[in-house]
Amino acid sequence: MAKLLLLCLKFIVLCSTVESVFEDQVGKFDWRQQYVGKVRFAHFDTHVQSSKKVLLATEKNVFASLNTRTGELFWRHVDMTGPEGNIDALLLHGQDAVVVVGNGRQLRSWDINVGGLNWEMVLDSGSFQASCLVGQQDVVKHVAVLKKTALSLHYLSNGHQKWIENLPESEAVDYQAVYSGGNGEVYALGVVPHSHIAIVAYSLEDGEIIKQTSVEAPWLSDIQGSCAVIGRGMLTCVDSPAVSLYTLDLHGQSEMTQIPLQSLGLEVALGFQPVLVSTQPNPARPPLSEFFLQLGPEHHLLLQLNNDQIVTLRDFKPALLVSFATSGEKTVAAVMSPKNKTACSLNLFSAETGRRLLDTTLIFNMDPFGGKPETLYVQAFLKKDDSVGYRVMVQTEDHTLTFIQQPGRVMWTREEALSDVVTMEMVDLPLTGTQAELEGEFGKKAAIQDGLFSMLLKRLSSQLILLQAWIAHLWKMFYDARKPRSQVKNDVTIENLSRDEFNLQKMMVMVTASGKLFGIDSKTGSILWKHYLENIPSNAAFKLMVQRTTAHFPHPPQCTLLIKDKDTGLASLHVFNPIFGKKSHVNPPALPQPILQSLMLPVMDQDYAKVLLLVDDQYKVSAFPSTKNVLQQLQEIASSIFFYLVDSSQGRLSGYRLRTDLSTELIWEIVLPTEVQKILSVKGKRPNEHVHSQGRVMGDRSVLYKYLNPNLLAVVTESTDLHQERSFVGMLLIDGVTGRIIHEAVQRKTKGPVHVVHSENWVVYEYWSTKSRRNEFSVIELYEGMELYNSTVFSSLDRPHAPQVLQQSYIFPSSISTMEATLTEKGITSRHLLIGLPSGGILSLPKMFLDPRRPEIVSEQSREENLIPYAPELLIRTEWFINYNQTVSRVRGIHTAPSGLESTCLVVAYGLDIYQTRVYPSKQFDVLKDDYDYMLISSVLFALFFATMISKRLAEVKLLNRAWR
Amino acid sequence: MASPGGQGGGGGALSTRGARRMKWALELSLGNTRSRGDRQGGQGDVVYPIGYSEKPVPDTSIQETDKNLVEKRCWDVALGPLKQIPMNLFIMYMSGNTISIFPIMMVCMMAWRPIQALMSMSATFKLLESSSQQWLQGLVYLVGNLLGSALAIYKCQSMGLLPTHSSDWLAFIGPPQRMEIMGGGMVL
Repeated sequence: MAKLLLLCLKFIVLCSTVESVFEDQVGKFDWRQQYVGKVRFAHFDTHVQSSKKVLLATEKNVFASLNTRTGELFWRHVDMTGPEGNIDALLLHGQDAVVVVGNGRQLRSWDINVGGLNWEMVLDSGSFQASCLVGQQDVVKHVAVLKKTALSLHYLSNGHQKWIENLPESEAVDYQAVYSGGNGEVYALGVVPHSHIAIVAYSLEDGEIIKQTSVEAPWLSDIQGSCAVIGRGMLTCVDSPAVSLYTLDLHGQSEMTQIPLQSLGLEVALGFQPVLVSTQPNPARPPLSEFFLQLGPEHHLLLQLNNDQIVTLRDFKPALLVSFATSGEKTVAAVMSPKNKTACSLNLFSAETGRRLLDTTLIFNMDPFGGKPETLYVQAFLKKDDSVGYRVMVQTEDHTLTFIQQPGRVMWTREEALSDVVTMEMVDLPLTGTQAELEGEFGKKAAIQDGLFSMLLKRLSSQLILLQAWIAHLWKMFYDARKPRSQVKNDVTIENLSRDEFNLQKMMVMVTASGKLFGIDSKTGSILWKHYLENIPSNAAFKLMVQRTTAHFPHPPQCTLLIKDKDTGLASLHVFNPIFGKKSHVNPPALPQPILQSLMLPVMDQDYAKVLLLVDDQYKVSAFPSTKNVLQQLQEIASSIFFYLVDSSQGRLSGYRLRTDLSTELIWEIVLPTEVQKILSVKGKRPNEHVHSQGRVMGDRSVLYKYLNPNLLAVVTESTDLHQERSFVGMLLIDGVTGRIIHEAVQRKTKGPVHVVHSENWVVYEYWSTKSRRNEFSVIELYEGMELYNSTVFSSLDRPHAPQVLQQSYIFPSSISTMEATLTEKGITSRHLLIGLPSGGILSLPKMFLDPRRPEIVSEQSREENLIPYAPELLIRTEWFINYNQTVSRVRGIHTAPSGLESTCLVVAYGLDIYQTRVYPSKQFDVLKDDYDYMLISSVLFALFFATMISKRLAEVKLLNRAWR
Repeated sequence: MASPGGQGGGGGALSTRGARRMKWALELSLGNTRSRGDRQGGQGDVVYPIGYSEKPVPDTSIQETDKNLVEKRCWDVALGPLKQIPMNLFIMYMSGNTISIFPIMMVCMMAWRPIQALMSMSATFKLLESSSQQWLQGLVYLVGNLLGSALAIYKCQSMGLLPTHSSDWLAFIGPPQRMEIMGGGMVL
């Protein structure tokens, strides 16, 4: 019986209608790109000769495996954000990758072939210092983890702890390194800064302290930064003030041997901290006795430690980056040296002798719009003739990973900067050349200059060009039709970019935290241009504005990026063309004063660029562009320009009015005491938002007019006191011009994070209810009432009546990451809320469900209005997920943009991944379906037409015959 | 109509046959039935005299009763629209207020017919010309049609097809013009 019931249930589930995509639509309108972030550790899989894997642990707490042939992900594990998921160490042995996570909280072992978890161990508390693999007699069986106070040894096979020992004098000694040379001993190396080094040797078998020594080293402050173990247990340190190397045999020496660098004939670059690079190809054996010493930014040395003597094998100058790589028994050193301004050359050297290996030159062409190389990862392999071949993976400053094969062929590049998109805009593509020609022909300048006859000639010539283009297009179609479909590639390049019929394809301009800008085609996701801005501070704030769209041919479109250093407050402007990514010829003004905010005016200069106002810390305003024309226009409308500033650290909201001399005047101020509550966010309305309907039709066919105040601000506050009983979330609706508080709502026993969407006449926000332990949505809608106060103009200064406020709250079954509302061209289409969930889904929730007019008791009128009866729970219906199984990890933001079709809204979700799709909140009411049967319809039409013709003729004949009778 | 032709034809035939024996003959009896059966199909046994018409000629002299008939006829025309109203009311009641294809068709018919009648008012007046109460009848006809169209409008109203509510004009209200320009945000 149960089985039958289940079968019935399955049948019902299968038969129910599905609103999401069909199988053949997967990937047709959407794409996803997965990223891992900036690489912290990378290891090539070496245990199989022809392996294609590289393992990456990144600063985004991602552990992933890439295919070295294509650059695609084999698998990826995304850990928690923040320090809890931080990957502290990555050790690779055979098929197992051992990872220390969360400041030594957990130890995990992964199978690198399939990405499955072998085991996971929770470690004892204590901050993580170092870890290493421990081997004995050529077999690696253990992993040692050094913490602040203890050293523990775990089995590689199952993670069980073999032993844990407290470190002696751990309060005084700062243990920083752990070393094992494969002789049955594990060394913990610690330092008392500017005093001595403490060395504790443990027995591998039972963790007994074999030996404990302390060596005077008053010059040493940090082992990890300046020391390395080289050769058969020789701790080698470099001291920059004394310009010398110190060596110490861990096995028995009690004093360090000083080797002045001058005795080797070496000099350290001024102000440079020398760095030692050593390698231990096999954890069961001691490290190599060869090592690199970096003496300057472009100066490296390959040295050999030979019976306490240091021999210089080779001097590399200039050399940007060096790295060791091992294949089988051979260890080689790869050195990258600058060749010219745009390229670097890499060479392999034998580690033992320092001789250059033949035929190992590799050219790395640097992207002129990219950063400098930062880290070098080398994959060495033995060729058939036993010589060493290699491939390299280079990470540059702009977080780009490039994988290069000899002699310089780039196999793939990954733009890992895109894992950290800060802000973005979608810009319309330009018209095609011919269309633009036609547009430009009838520009106003041309019309004044030319006479009638030349205009006619121009028109004829441009139409000839159009005809030519059309014939070329036809020819291309004919030519392509003969080719098999797989060969026809629609490569989008920057040259053939043009707007499509419905403006569905746009240019996504993305700004990343690393300071790299990208131009991405929204249809395919291919990166069309990139531009790396150097010297971007790590905590910079970005604001991207579109000053001129592509609508003003022949003026190029123009975007302006405001970059503000949060420490100094100083800002700079980067003006560029969003279609080609090139820096504009327009010189942005120098900004000597710290900038507080910027404000885009709907006023244009004579070149159709919108005017940008920048407010500095003296509350003076500067305009960009600041031509005479602009200043004149500004003087005329200055009295109607207002701006507001929100200082969340002081809890102060203030409104200013612009004076004609571009100074400002404070007109209102609201202070929310910071000891009670803090301002979380302020949301205005989007400037490009259109509202088609000015009111809502009631059940009795009267109209409830919406309160559409374009100057309304939604200010979200949260209590400073986070106690469960006293915490609250506040919502203030303030008019940004007058500072009048329109409405105030407080949710008690709730706390943030609060996500807000403010649009049309409503505000939707989400918070955590500490009382009921659940996520809740609340919606506020504002109405003017049954009459409009003034239907032609809206002025905040003339609003005598307060709006009617309606509010309702709902329970949402999941926490959310981000929220945004859909946006369409004319605002006719109904609105949906796009909600990014932590699970990686993007939910398209109809705004209809968040409507404070939802009645508790259904009446005739509410039914007439199509209001859904109130239910406290909002359900997540699986067909509302717009990204079906394309999980988007860690969604941080959703950007929506209107397309040329009223029904269609373009959506980009960004976070660790980037996902682009289209949504149709009211279904595709203005588009014929994909499977629309043109053949059937046209054949029916033709058949009917001919049938009419024939029957007409027959009728005529019949009439004539009857007349004769 | 058949009799004079038949006679002429019969005469012709006889003359050709009798030409051998005598110069001419006029047969007044109905002896030779065979040849007459060909022509007249045995319809009647009487041959009408020349100039006789089978149809009765109307009496064209004007009588008092005819005048009354014209009046009656004209009143019929004038009262026609009024007489339809109860019928229309019944249809209205039956069709209900839901908006679907049949009620809409009925409403259209109901609205269209009086309009059509009002448009062709002059033609109706011509019909009523002969009546002595032409103007009164014309007025009654007009009122009847107006009542019919009023009924149609009432029906439209009750079906909600008339744009009498403010919500019907909502789509024509444009977005209000913004008087102030405002912007800003959190201090960057």
